[in-house]
Amino acid sequence: MSNSIYATLSRQDGLLKELQVVANNIANTNTSGYKTDRALFAEYVMATGNDTPSLSMGGLAGHSFDLTQGTVKFTGGKFDLAIQGDGFFALETDAGQRLTRAGAFQLSSDGQLITADGARVLDSGNTPIQIPPDVEGLSIAGDGTISANGQILGQVGVFTPTGQLQRDTDTRFVAQGGVEAVETASVLQGALEASNVSPVLEMARMIEVQRAYEAGQTVLEREDQRITQFISTVRDR
Amino acid sequence: MKSLQIAATGMAAQQMRVDVISNNIANMSTAAYRPRVAEFSDLVYQQYLTPGTLTSQTGTVVPAGIQLGTGVKASTVSIEITQGSMRQTGGELDIGIDGAGFLEITLPDGESAYTRDGKLNRSPDGEIVTMDGYSLADGITIPSDANRISISRDGEVVAYYDNQPNGQSIGVISLATFVNEKGLEALGDNLFRETEASGQANSQVPGSQGVGTVRQGFLEDSSVDVVKEISDLIEAQRGYELNSKVITASDEMLAATTRLR
Repeated sequence: MSNSIYATLSRQDGLLKELQVVANNIANTNTSGYKTDRALFAEYVMATGNDTPSLSMGGLAGHSFDLTQGTVKFTGGKFDLAIQGDGFFALETDAGQRLTRAGAFQLSSDGQLITADGARVLDSGNTPIQIPPDVEGLSIAGDGTISANGQILGQVGVFTPTGQLQRDTDTRFVAQGGVEAVETASVLQGALEASNVSPVLEMARMIEVQRAYEAGQTVLEREDQRITQFISTVRDR
Repeated sequence: MKSLQIAATGMAAQQMRVDVISNNIANMSTAAYRPRVAEFSDLVYQQYLTPGTLTSQTGTVVPAGIQLGTGVKASTVSIEITQGSMRQTGGELDIGIDGAGFLEITLPDGESAYTRDGKLNRSPDGEIVTMDGYSLADGITIPSDANRISISRDGEVVAYYDNQPNGQSIGVISLATFVNEKGLEALGDNLFRETEASGQANSQVPGSQGVGTVRQGFLEDSSVDVVKEISDLIEAQRGYELNSKVITASDEMLAATTRLR
């Protein structure tokens, strides 16, 4: 069959996946700690096996997260934490260690700092944070130090991945190459980092994807007409 | 077409946010009501190409891979722990709690419930009860011949009688605190129940370490910040519209596909 159809199909498939990325970004415009996803396309060359040696196609090759800072939204919550600048909070989950920038934490019934689904927040020494009951005037300093009445109770750990990051559910990331502590962390108490999705950019990208897809469909239509015409011309001779 | 479902999860999330906001606004005058906040998180990612997959024998790896998201879900609707402002009512049995703590109530079925709504009353036999007639767990009965009572900041209830300069202590109103107040289960009627997540109620004397004080003649107002709720409402409404645009775009792309034949 016509090679141009194959090349266009690879593009259409990529566009559908890109729309999925855009839809996911838009669905997460209000997810705190969410980082925008970007689809990356690359050319790949396919051997066709006939006279023309190869065919170049475009496909989804990878994606990147936009790790820029989301706006900081003040909530006033005692255990709502936002990181300014680099770094992630480390969590201990059943599936292993996870990183996140969504800092809506609370205390478990036995006094550990946890997320809404019970994952334990880790301190700078990679152990869960224990807060004694009935402390008054608890404050969390810029470097993550938790204190009450001048007494230090612990330090919220801020880490940066040394290797690749992989996305996980619940606004979490898996650091495949391990983590290291951030020296100059900046933690804000009483605030949450909003999603860094820009609705305007996503809308523009969506329109772009949609029109490119329609253009692709037109190419397919024309190619279809051309083949039909070719067949009828050959038959009528 | 995954984008259709993804946008649908986005619309459902914004819809839920509007529900939470409308409940907050509806309770802007409910005594001691604390606003709820909906928090969201992203759904599972489809792994098309896992980052870190080897791409050659020399050990080069895929740097970012292809992971496609599948939408958003509500992760929690939590209670914002805030102090409402104190409104002076002058009522003898109006109690405002300044700081942490809940009044413990005994429900008709014998179970305990907790509330910060301090609009209390007297039952026909003199017991201190809530507006619904549930008695305080401290079980304080005001003698019928007492002409007035006073409640000190540390919860002591003192009854005064005619022709007697000094009052007589008739009990102490204690306050219950929880390790994790956000883990309490709301029962309606301004009542909460302890759960596994909140930890056990810790009944204490008002004014002790980590516990609030009791203010007679005051009621705690709702701590809903209406301006914040309205701006959140606007955000939620626009978020809903954005997601509906994705549905339109997906639909038009599907239509372009079907036009081929």
